[in-house]
Amino acid sequence: MSKRLFAPLVGIVGFLALWEAVVRVGDVRPFVLRAPSRIVTYLADHFGDYASAAWVTAQHALIGSVIGLLIALVIGSGMAASRFAEHAAQPVLTLLQVTPFVAYIASVVLWLGSGTRPAVFIVALVCMPAFAFATVDGMRSADPAARELLASVDASRWEVLWRLRLPSAIPSLFTTARYNVGLALIASYLVEGGNFANEGLGAIGKRAAALNEGDALWGAIFSMAILGTIALLLLSLLQRLVMGWHVSQRTRPT
Amino acid sequence: MDVAMLAAGLHSHTGWGQFTSLHSVRMSRIELRDLTKSFGDLAIVDTLSLDIRSGSFVSVIGPSGCGKTTLLRVIAGLEPASAGGITVDGVSPRAARSHKRVAMVPQQPGLLPWRTVYENARLLLDVNRRANPAEATEPTALLHEVGLGGFLDAYPHELSGGMQQRVALVRALTLGAPLLVMDEPFAALDEITRSEMRTILNRLVEGRGVTVLFVTHSIAEAVALSDRVLVGSPRPTAIVADITIDLPRPRSADVEDDPRFVELCADVRHALHQGMKP
Repeated sequence: MSKRLFAPLVGIVGFLALWEAVVRVGDVRPFVLRAPSRIVTYLADHFGDYASAAWVTAQHALIGSVIGLLIALVIGSGMAASRFAEHAAQPVLTLLQVTPFVAYIASVVLWLGSGTRPAVFIVALVCMPAFAFATVDGMRSADPAARELLASVDASRWEVLWRLRLPSAIPSLFTTARYNVGLALIASYLVEGGNFANEGLGAIGKRAAALNEGDALWGAIFSMAILGTIALLLLSLLQRLVMGWHVSQRTRPT
Repeated sequence: MDVAMLAAGLHSHTGWGQFTSLHSVRMSRIELRDLTKSFGDLAIVDTLSLDIRSGSFVSVIGPSGCGKTTLLRVIAGLEPASAGGITVDGVSPRAARSHKRVAMVPQQPGLLPWRTVYENARLLLDVNRRANPAEATEPTALLHEVGLGGFLDAYPHELSGGMQQRVALVRALTLGAPLLVMDEPFAALDEITRSEMRTILNRLVEGRGVTVLFVTHSIAEAVALSDRVLVGSPRPTAIVADITIDLPRPRSADVEDDPRFVELCADVRHALHQGMKP
């Protein structure tokens, strides 16, 4: 484990060192670009505020994406089962995916009120289409020999779904989850900034931007980055746990 | 002569009512009467009649694309017949399928990568549980019998191709179904593994009383395993030869050194060439 953490650490530290060097050697003015040392110091001084805000953002992103995933599993199963359902759902899902959700944050806040509800709603909404597409692709990729085999003993639709199709979708769902981590966090951040609850990293960022407090804004950005990194790390651990049988999880290249 | 060359058309046409009688149910596992299967205008199987006796091992051998697999899928109830009569284990293929009377071994092992060897061997028991036959058994003893006793908790990706196909064999046998249908199950394996699989399969089915319908491209495989080899013609499938394999049982790997084995292989090969002629 220590070996596997070493390389990413070298990457991050190297990147920060380069950034620091550019700011110091190039004498870049702080309102253009701040040195990472200055941001880290600011974060350390205000650790409590940022930690509790990050916790709020993490919950919005997590609850929202889990709800989005569950809805996607239902919609995706339907789409995989029927071509008609697939063709009917596809344009709607694509529409959800390509619409800039920033545009309707205000409407959702007016509708659902401020606080957790609009954040979770929008995160679920934006994560759902990619999860639904991944479900369809994964289910369709189920081994034809295994499908034939289950048919030969008259397995019910539910059994085929539960025993074969859903597990077949796990790899593509994990791939999509990696992409959705970023989307979910950014959606949380933007909704938190757009409602009046004044909680979460998004609220800190929004206020800092309005008051021209660069240190506070960069503190929020750094916190988001740390949150995303932790989320991806946890996702990898979960994948290792759930998908030990899969080619991608083997340590020895074959 | 042990080789009976029978054109399918010469088969006596018994009436539908007669072959669903109790007598024939006991004597025969599969009965086809003028079975026809076509996709659109393309006839894959054309008025084929056939009886397969209970407890016998019957191979169907024929050129690629001659409709062997389609015939097998019709018998397994996965594909409806276009015309003609068919009974499997005394009932319609659809009914036999829903009562788990037919165990299938596909060409690809079709193991689920997230299930261990033991769990894969149980797969057919774990679905549609209500229909599990009384003869169904736990797969553990069978897995030991085929030399996988040390791999119960292994995952499919840790097994060789031959081992995976052995799991597929156990998965079918553990169901305890009276009829086993196998679609070129050893086609993807290397020659050494194939001959090993022949020995294993002979040992597994001898004395179990199961009826086996085995589709293959390999003459040696058909002769080494079967009591009877049916030689098919190119599409639409007709049986051009019905060859009785009178090699003694139980059969070991040595059976392939028997001069009689070589003779029978030659008979099958000649029949195949005969059937290919327009």
